[in-house]
Amino acid sequence: MTIHEPLTEQPASTTGPGAEAGGGLNIRGLHKILGGRTIIDNLDLAVNEGELVSLLGPSGCGKTTTLRMIAGFLEPDSGSIEVEGQEVSHLGAENRPSAMVFQNYALWPHMTVARNIGFPLKLRKMSKVEIKDRVEAVLELVSLLHHKDSKPARISGGEQQRVALARALVQEPKLLLLDEPLSNLDAKLRVKVREDIRKIQQELGITTVIVTHDQEEAMSMSDRIAVMNAGRIEQYSTPAALYARPETEFVATFIGSMNRVEGSLNNGLITAGPDILGIRPEDVILHDVPFDGAIPATVERVVPRGHFQEVYLHRPDARLRSFVTGEFMEPGQQTFAEIRKAMTFRDGRLVAEAGAAR
Amino acid sequence: MLAFGFSIGLTGGLNHTIATIAQNVHEADAWWGTLAAYQEMFTNKRFLGDLVVTVIVTLVSTLTVLFLALGIGLYLKLKGGRMARLLSGLAIVPLFIPVVIASWAILTFYSGTGFLRSAFALFGLDFPVWAFTMVTVIIGSVWTSLPFAVLMISSGLQSVPKAMIEAARDAGAGSLRTIVSVIVPMAAVPIIIATTFTAIGIVGSFTVPYFTGPNSPNMLGVDMSNYFSSFNQPQQSAVMAFTVFLIASGIAALYVWANFRSAKEQGKA
Amino acid sequence: MVTTTSRTRPAAGAGRPLSPGSIVQSALVALFVVFMVVFILGPLLWLGVRAFAGTWTFPNLLPDDWTLRWWQVVISDHALGVAVQNSLFFAPLTVLVSAIICLPAAYAFARFDFPGRRFFLISLFATNAFPKMGLFVTLAALFYALNLMNSVLGILVVHVLGTVVFMTWIPAAAFSAVPRNLEEAARDAGASKLRVFASVTLPMALPGIIVAAVMSFLASFDEAQGTYLVGAPDFMTMPTQMYSLVLNYPTQVAAVFSILLAIPSVALMLAAHKHILGGQLAEGFQIK
Repeated sequence: MTIHEPLTEQPASTTGPGAEAGGGLNIRGLHKILGGRTIIDNLDLAVNEGELVSLLGPSGCGKTTTLRMIAGFLEPDSGSIEVEGQEVSHLGAENRPSAMVFQNYALWPHMTVARNIGFPLKLRKMSKVEIKDRVEAVLELVSLLHHKDSKPARISGGEQQRVALARALVQEPKLLLLDEPLSNLDAKLRVKVREDIRKIQQELGITTVIVTHDQEEAMSMSDRIAVMNAGRIEQYSTPAALYARPETEFVATFIGSMNRVEGSLNNGLITAGPDILGIRPEDVILHDVPFDGAIPATVERVVPRGHFQEVYLHRPDARLRSFVTGEFMEPGQQTFAEIRKAMTFRDGRLVAEAGAAR
Repeated sequence: MLAFGFSIGLTGGLNHTIATIAQNVHEADAWWGTLAAYQEMFTNKRFLGDLVVTVIVTLVSTLTVLFLALGIGLYLKLKGGRMARLLSGLAIVPLFIPVVIASWAILTFYSGTGFLRSAFALFGLDFPVWAFTMVTVIIGSVWTSLPFAVLMISSGLQSVPKAMIEAARDAGAGSLRTIVSVIVPMAAVPIIIATTFTAIGIVGSFTVPYFTGPNSPNMLGVDMSNYFSSFNQPQQSAVMAFTVFLIASGIAALYVWANFRSAKEQGKA
Repeated sequence: MVTTTSRTRPAAGAGRPLSPGSIVQSALVALFVVFMVVFILGPLLWLGVRAFAGTWTFPNLLPDDWTLRWWQVVISDHALGVAVQNSLFFAPLTVLVSAIICLPAAYAFARFDFPGRRFFLISLFATNAFPKMGLFVTLAALFYALNLMNSVLGILVVHVLGTVVFMTWIPAAAFSAVPRNLEEAARDAGASKLRVFASVTLPMALPGIIVAAVMSFLASFDEAQGTYLVGAPDFMTMPTQMYSLVLNYPTQVAAVFSILLAIPSVALMLAAHKHILGGQLAEGFQIK
């Protein structure tokens, strides 16, 4: 058995209170009960200055509630929220140094694109000339200068998204918040916009928190991801570490795909036991000929997934899924399946990460 | 089919200006020229006085209704809670009461022996008699117009998405600023519709001023009926009708414009 | 406002401790509510009490003695009974006629985009913009010519005209709110056009139609000016009878009669209030 080194540059555990100080965002002991139900359960989160962090989780896990408390739309029952060392939890949303991009963009339909973006500046009693300059600068940044005088309803969803982003950026916030920013875009556009957002965020070096339920989105954009479940952070680490070394069974199932089998792994064979084995499909390797550690298996079903196939296998000890590239498999085909790596969970927590014998 | 029903109304109306001149059947005093009747009415002191009264009552009542309805609607939208629901519930009550009864109830409430005078008299104070003055006409108009305006405006305000308001707060806007710059403009169309309907309803109203108002000067709706039945001068009555119609169409133009605007916005969305 | 550490107040807008500002604010709101109660309910209560009052000396806030005498007067009065009958005859008939004329039109407005559609909708509005009294005065002149004065038909025309706006707009909005793909799904399942209308469109638009019917019923039940002009003195309905009652009877009789007149309105509105407050009414007044 070998314990893999975590890929994080810092402890992969949930960052405790006082782990970082000064810049960025620092949340301690955040608690919220709504309608008798605990929505956020004593949550701590620290985001470094200039870092992009995703709150990732299934619906109802409390990620949006957390974001809304950071933005000031919801009052926490207890806990503190610090932005760049300044306690903000007693401030209303209008007085916080954060700016938010809303899920449906929330562009005011009666104002033009330029007036939407200029509105926050107007509230700061900026001169007309300055507002115009800054609005145009930020429109240039999101390459929408030509839609300056359009009404929001006249431009496409992707463009509306960028206007919403521009409206947040023009405030030069210390903290940028994005609530499911890409959920209303089609698949192709989503990839492009998320790269745009990431690029702009890195250029400007704004501390950013994104709420999303899309793991691919979170993985591709974030410096770190906080996976949330039932009002708590299950794991807070880099995308790579999250996938390679999920700390809990929940994270392992939620991030990527996993074969979940009861039992434990002995010499490549699954034997009965109280633990849960988590085996990534890409760690189930198929061989045409008998192979050391591989066990004969029958192909039951093949689902083409584009550049790979998802193969459902029947092995004497378990049913497994495997991702296979290369030649097509046929149902009924005999093969030899080797489990190259498995994670062992006990009471939902990772206790061991093991490669197969050899 | 329906347009037919409507056309009876309108052509009946349109024909009438021409028709009365020709078929002034039961009239002792005849009027020849087309504009003679208008000329007569517009030099008539009583008519002019009534016209001014009508315009003032309409303006004051409409503004009051708008103010109350917006207040209630905004309170319901922004604060919510039991008080807000109680308020909007109260404002809807007049919808349940026939106008005739409402007018009469309001008349007795503010009359010489009415509640307000009684209540004040108990403290040794003398409250003015509002019955048969324009004050009760305005009170009655507001009373009867309030439910529609409240329904229309609060439904319009309710449909402003919460995210739009939050976005304004996020941008740094306080409550007042959010209301003025975001909520009211976004609910502009229902607000305009409510305003125009209220104004149109009041400008042509009959029952409320007939019951609660003074004999003269009173609103044109009452005058019209007097000229028609009591004074037996249908043509003068028609002149008044068209004057009121002109005012009402002016207001109605606003309504149509508001609707086109909303249709345009939705069409492009 | 206060810092947030260790606060355990429940949610829903609360969570802010009472500051002098918020006390003043609550007081203002309470004052406004009291004002509204007096303004809206005061006249009705004042009138309601009157119906059971014997004599009443100014400036007492309650009558000197109580009696049911005035109810007897009203119930035994023949003319008033006829008025009740007339009202109960005209109102349902008006709703029926109006529905037969207007509902198909409402459906057409909602589903077909024919040339001049918007013109018709706006013309409809014009009848509404035209002052009722003026409309009736001009109508009366026309009725003299057509010999419709003092006839059932004449009164019916007046009443139906008053309901056209309700009966067209509100159902039109309700019809167009029925998603087209639901109708298409029914067609796809093999239903005929008529069947689709009867089983899908109509039931889904029903709340709007009910609101329209209630509003029309009340408009007809409430209609006094035109009925008085066209029908009096042969056809007196409850509201027109109110006019003469107020002048010729003790105020208590009018109060009793008012309560009777208000019963159908209140009952119907209560029955339909969910839909009316649910936005069906407001939705209907926006031309699409």
